[in-house]
Amino acid sequence: MNLASYLDLYEVLESDNSTRNERRTFGLSHPELKEDPVEQLSAWANREKLKLKRPLLSETLSSYLYWVTLILSFLTFVLGVVSGIGLLSYNGHEPVNVIYFIAMVVFVPLVTMSLALLSMFRASRSQSMLIHLSPAFWMERIVALLPNKVKDQLKGRFSELKINPLILNWLVIKRSQILALAFSFGLLLALLAMVATRDIAFAWSTTLSVTPEAFHHLLETLSFAWRDFFPWAVPSVELVEQSQYYRLGEKLGDTMISHAALLGEWWKFLLFATLFYAVILRFVMYIISTIGLKKAIERSFMTLEGSKKLLSDMNEVNISTHASTIENNFSSKTVAYTQVIDRFDQSYDMALGWAIDPDKLKLINERMQVIAPNCYEAGGANSLEEDSEVISKCHGEILFYVKAWEPPTMDFMDFLESLLEKADKVIVAPIGTEQQAYVSKERDVNVWARKLFTLNNEKVWLKISSAQALKGEAENA
Amino acid sequence: MPEHKESAFDHPKFAVVGHPNKGKSSIVSSLALDDSVQISDTPGTTTKKRSFPLTVDGKIIYELFDTPGFQRARKVLAWLEGHDVSADKKYEVVQEFIHTFKNDPKFNDEIELLEPIMEGAGIIYVVDASKPYGEEYEAEMEILRWTGQPSMALINHIDEGDYTAEWKRALGHYFKIVRTYDPMNISLAQHISILESMAQLKEEWTDSVKSSILFFEQYYEEMFQESAAAIAKAVFDSVSLIDTLAFTSEKASDVEKKRLEENYKNRLRMIESSTQKQIEIIWHHENLEKDKTQLAFEELDLFSEESASLFGLTRKELLITAATSGAITGAGIDLMFAGHTLFIGGALGAVVGGVGAYFAFNELSEIKVLGQTLGKRYLEIGPMANRNFPYILLGRLIYHTEQIAKRSHAKRSVAEFEMDSKFKEKWLDDALRKSLESYHKKFRSGKAIDEKVLLAYEALINTVLHKLI
Ligand SMILES: Nc1nc2c(ncn2[C@@H]2O[C@H](COP(=O)(O)OP(=O)(O)OP(=O)(O)O)[C@@H](O)[C@H]2O)c(=O)[nH]1
Ligand SMILES: [Mg+2]
Repeated sequence: MNLASYLDLYEVLESDNSTRNERRTFGLSHPELKEDPVEQLSAWANREKLKLKRPLLSETLSSYLYWVTLILSFLTFVLGVVSGIGLLSYNGHEPVNVIYFIAMVVFVPLVTMSLALLSMFRASRSQSMLIHLSPAFWMERIVALLPNKVKDQLKGRFSELKINPLILNWLVIKRSQILALAFSFGLLLALLAMVATRDIAFAWSTTLSVTPEAFHHLLETLSFAWRDFFPWAVPSVELVEQSQYYRLGEKLGDTMISHAALLGEWWKFLLFATLFYAVILRFVMYIISTIGLKKAIERSFMTLEGSKKLLSDMNEVNISTHASTIENNFSSKTVAYTQVIDRFDQSYDMALGWAIDPDKLKLINERMQVIAPNCYEAGGANSLEEDSEVISKCHGEILFYVKAWEPPTMDFMDFLESLLEKADKVIVAPIGTEQQAYVSKERDVNVWARKLFTLNNEKVWLKISSAQALKGEAENA
Repeated sequence: MPEHKESAFDHPKFAVVGHPNKGKSSIVSSLALDDSVQISDTPGTTTKKRSFPLTVDGKIIYELFDTPGFQRARKVLAWLEGHDVSADKKYEVVQEFIHTFKNDPKFNDEIELLEPIMEGAGIIYVVDASKPYGEEYEAEMEILRWTGQPSMALINHIDEGDYTAEWKRALGHYFKIVRTYDPMNISLAQHISILESMAQLKEEWTDSVKSSILFFEQYYEEMFQESAAAIAKAVFDSVSLIDTLAFTSEKASDVEKKRLEENYKNRLRMIESSTQKQIEIIWHHENLEKDKTQLAFEELDLFSEESASLFGLTRKELLITAATSGAITGAGIDLMFAGHTLFIGGALGAVVGGVGAYFAFNELSEIKVLGQTLGKRYLEIGPMANRNFPYILLGRLIYHTEQIAKRSHAKRSVAEFEMDSKFKEKWLDDALRKSLESYHKKFRSGKAIDEKVLLAYEALINTVLHKLI
């Protein structure tokens, strides 16, 4: 898991339009990943990123980070070499004081590594003061200000990008370790080069009253890591004694000059001290920071917007209940059926009822104050033959009651069409239920109006209520 | 003659059939949680059969069919009855009917509705018992009997009238299961009980349909979970929201401050409305039309007394909540001084917290001027200092979720969310207020929040939703 996979997932989730089904299919087809959500997420990102536009965010940022790190590492390496040379240069007056070099390769790393460890412990907190102390952090700020073109290009794409602060912290921590390592290699190179090309007289000197024995003891402690394997890389008591040097008013002692060859032995200790403290321990720090960053990235995977949803989509059963096809939009046109009456005539040649029996029809006629000599039922429980018989009896003006609440079926329309062959005029009268005192609802009558409209026959009239007729007139006016 | 297609391994199928305009599509829509089904008061809305499979990981558990209504039932029946066959052959006559009239537009609707039945679907016959029973229905039921498929009747009530008794008497002759069902008001419990009836239609289907009940329960649970997560995130995002505005002059003008505040409010509105939309999608109400004026920040000022009393905490409640959370801070001080200041500390904390809450009633958050980076200065607003805000937002989102979750997928009317002053009492009590406050305090602090805290907050909201819905 590296930063690139994090950014890939970020970008994939950002522009994701995969369906639940695709996600679940992926989850089911990679059962081995189910136990490891991070692996699962990154596998998904790896597949989905192929659909994204190049260059990917991760590519841009990685190459940017790579170059920044490379340049900075090179600079710190050079700085390391220069400082090493500076520390080991013999100016002709005084021997080279090993204490400076030891401070640089042992104490400075120990202090900065402790700080780094401390910041690692605190890194999970987004606002860590120690992070701001790290040189890499500030250097990068400066570099970020420099190449305008690059910056603009980055800014456009990254302005919305919010990397988890946890990752940023670890990124900075890791990069400081890389830079420190580069610096250490610089020092190491300087030491090897100086030792190889010059004859350096090392000595030690301090204002504090330190006996050679005590100093030797300190050195021995410092060499704990290698003294058992390479005893020759630990300065002997004699060497420490002979190389002590007092600056005040003294020239190089004759004794020292006579031991010049011996004094050179210091380089072995310095080499091992550099190797162990500045290089190996720092390398360990680098490894720790790499692991820390990896862990941080893994944790951040889960905090990315949409990742939880993606995981549950992949791992939970995909239940779907809706239609598998899309339905055409139904639009019912409002039509104005103009062949309407709002009042019954006094009499009709006959009265028909669609699924209304003759006894009922007589009752309704009375209620409507209509006279019709013959009443017949059509539809309903009639057989088709019975219906034809009814039609054969029809003539003249026919009042045709229908149940307003029942929708006009094609069965009715078929009957009406046959009826029209015999009748001169048909008044379709939708009536309400008995409870409604046969008063129909306007909404129901409209349904009938729409249906009759499709027939388009001038013999067919629709009975509407007077209120409805008034409304219609008002609309027409 | 075409062969009987049904095999033992077929998943259960159910065809919802009946007279036109009696709520077939409404029933399917509510059972399939699909709000895209065409439903209208014009008969003949549905012209093609449509399948609504319940699939789990692509595997069909059962399949529901919406069908057009019968149009020429008597003619079909007359044709069928023209074949004098024994009961075991009636099925084949229906097959033959389909075969013969496949391309005849006259019987399009009948063929569309008979096809799924002849492919093995159980029959769910829908009637509207708010209207009287009529003999014209008998032809339809007779045809269904000819198919020989297991069947049940569902009684729907579209209007006020009630003719259930006569309907039940008539339906009893044709169907062994007769149930009432209201597609406009459906809860998970009703849904499950209908599924249980469907499971009885045929022995081979019982297991499948029963297992679908478990899946539905899981499905609902997921919707609850996702809604709670969306709401929790909205509250966290809003309360912790920080907005900035760069300015170059010596001092920020009032206009700039106003603008920042407007931006900030707009972003809060955005969070609310997008969360509402998200909740609608979670509950499969993608096509919901809502009355915009009812639940938008524009109409109801978030920070007014009115919205506070509807959705948030009243001044008094706020004082109590803040005072108790303030007292906890006081208790911390006491611990440090080993309890010597026991009462003074607690009282002081309570007073400070309470007074703070009183003043935090109306203002959102302080506008700060932020440091100098390369000669630029920023105005910054947020995180939300108003202690009432999270309750108002939470109340509104929970209210929205309740409304959406309870809404039937068969409804096509514009949703009107009538705010009810009783609503707050329904979801928010003192204990909940206290536990919520501890989270809101964390959100307000501006610090990064551990994922676990957000999950716990989510769980809390989930229990509230479960209580309501
Ligand atoms: N109030 C109320 N209205 C209902 C109910 N069921 C159906 N409706 C209404 O009745 C009308 C017809 O409903 P649909 O579901 O389209 O009926 P359908 O049987 O599918 O109709 P077609 O497809 O035309 O055959 C619609 O306006 C519905 O809103 C109900 O239980 N209560
Ligand atoms: Mg329909």
